[in-house]
Amino acid sequence: MLRYIVKRVLLSLITLWLLATIVFLMTWALPSDPARAIYGPMAPEETVAAFRAQVGLNDGLFVQYLRLLKSLVTFDFGMSWANQNYGVIEYLKSPLAKTAKLAVLALAITTPVAIGGGLIAAKYRDKRADRAIVLTGLATSSIPEFVTGALLAIVFGVKLGWAKPVYDSNAASKLGPWGQLQYLALPSLSLAIVYFGYIARMMRAGTIRALDSDYVRTAAMKGMSSSEVMRKHVLRNAIAPTITVMSVQVGYLVSGIVGVEVVFNYPGFSNTLLNAVSDRDLPVLQVAVLLSAITYMTATLLADITIAWLNPRVRLEVTN
Amino acid sequence: MSDTSTSPVGDIPVSASGAPRDNILERSMEERRSARKERWRLLRRRPGFIIGVVIVTFWVLCAAVGSRVVPYDPFKDLDFSNMQKGPSGKHWFGTDELGRDIFSRVLVGARDVLVVAPPAAIISVILGTILGIVMGYYRGWVDNVLSRIVEAFLALPVVMVGLLVLTITSTSDILQTITFESRKLLVIYVVSLLFTPIVARTVRAAVLGERDLDYVVSARLRGESNLFIMTREILPNITGPIIVELTVRIGYAIFTVATLSFLGAGPQPPSPDWGLAISEGRVLLPANIWWPVAFPALAIVTLVVATNLIADSIQAVYER
Repeated sequence: MLRYIVKRVLLSLITLWLLATIVFLMTWALPSDPARAIYGPMAPEETVAAFRAQVGLNDGLFVQYLRLLKSLVTFDFGMSWANQNYGVIEYLKSPLAKTAKLAVLALAITTPVAIGGGLIAAKYRDKRADRAIVLTGLATSSIPEFVTGALLAIVFGVKLGWAKPVYDSNAASKLGPWGQLQYLALPSLSLAIVYFGYIARMMRAGTIRALDSDYVRTAAMKGMSSSEVMRKHVLRNAIAPTITVMSVQVGYLVSGIVGVEVVFNYPGFSNTLLNAVSDRDLPVLQVAVLLSAITYMTATLLADITIAWLNPRVRLEVTN
Repeated sequence: MSDTSTSPVGDIPVSASGAPRDNILERSMEERRSARKERWRLLRRRPGFIIGVVIVTFWVLCAAVGSRVVPYDPFKDLDFSNMQKGPSGKHWFGTDELGRDIFSRVLVGARDVLVVAPPAAIISVILGTILGIVMGYYRGWVDNVLSRIVEAFLALPVVMVGLLVLTITSTSDILQTITFESRKLLVIYVVSLLFTPIVARTVRAAVLGERDLDYVVSARLRGESNLFIMTREILPNITGPIIVELTVRIGYAIFTVATLSFLGAGPQPPSPDWGLAISEGRVLLPANIWWPVAFPALAIVTLVVATNLIADSIQAVYER
């Protein structure tokens, strides 16, 4: 097991290095003049030139590339370019916490519903309840988040007035955790709806596989009641692949949240990333893109390790 | 699925009219034809498939001839007397902030997403298939190196990276005078490039299931070139997964292109693009003006759900 983990972590480090290279190529090597973009077309050339020299934009591409790799090891990412009083990490901290809040809320809403839905669908396989759940899942997970968000904002925010259709930082910061819910409800519900499909689908597939297995038949023939079979055999086996999907979703939450954050004006990670794009704030951009990629990688890695831990065949395959 | 080379050798009927090889070829072609017919018959019996095809056909027709049949000019100049009117008998979907008829704009807007998303999906499937076959067939260091790169790309948040590349390139000096058409091309390139690794992973997995089968081994023993084996032996046997991947990819391409437009990286005003329309109308929501957002949003919902219904049906028929 240890050998498997070490191997996977080493492979992830190689992937991380490749990622840093790709991000570098995208931000630095693409034709653009970030210094000019930050100061605008009217700024005097001296100011722009001074900034270029200060942040090392005049150095050769390779020197800049090495600087990026070095910052990944030392965790010193320098200052944000657009907001020069902030360090990159410091600058990203608060939006990250805000996004995490949204993500946790969305998962808390969607997990029980989706797992229940998957179980019901599997139990009534090919009947009307199953078809309805599968179809709902297919539809909700294929609609872009910003569309779901916009429609929810119209129905529950504007028409029914049950929750706020637009996030308001000032008003929300004055409220307690319960009061904030009226602002967080719709954004987190939009995310929850998108994730419902993925999780329910995995849960359904896992449950069907377990229901068709020999051990469930044996258990039923032993005279175990059907609810006991469900709880003791089916649920345990069906939930493993679902956990994988969910952990990948967590990685995806950090980046896939962009549509929702923009629709609701939520000052989270994605909106910060968007601002960094339009400001050409390269240090923030790199760190933010790498951070979401690392989150995804870590989530997948943890999922793979969990599966290998549950299933010895997988870890033998990889180490050999 | 079956292929010439998988037919057991003992079956060869030696007829007077021709060599046994021709007979096998003929028979297997016949088998393939009947399998195709059977799949088509099963597809037509699925209500999801029929509904999906009807909706997609409707939007394709709108994209093709919409501008000639709509009741009002979707690009009409500012009309103060007609601004932000709710849905009525005269304007079924109401009018937007410039007094333009939303019904006309939604119908014509199908064009913007449909000329970009399917081509992007097709290019990504072609590139991903080439990459996936090479990785799965050669294995070894080629596969190892390419797999790491694919994995790195998979960890990147697609929408964010697409937005980043599009923003940086479209404001650079070289592309300063970026035109309407070249911007669309740029979106196609970026989305197809970001999707290629995902397709490659699927195709690679399919190739791994084939490469050690008898027909590949015997082709190698016959002394066929690697290129021949990859394109003429393996490729015909993995068309199923590739077709499924293509339909799924078109759905995701619509999702991604719509989100990019919504974030401002796609078509620019006065384009009637759906994502752009939602982004423009969003600010009016708190004032209870919901129709400029609702109708383009519903248009996106119908198109993505229809595409996914088709993809799901094709997948079910192929993986039967």
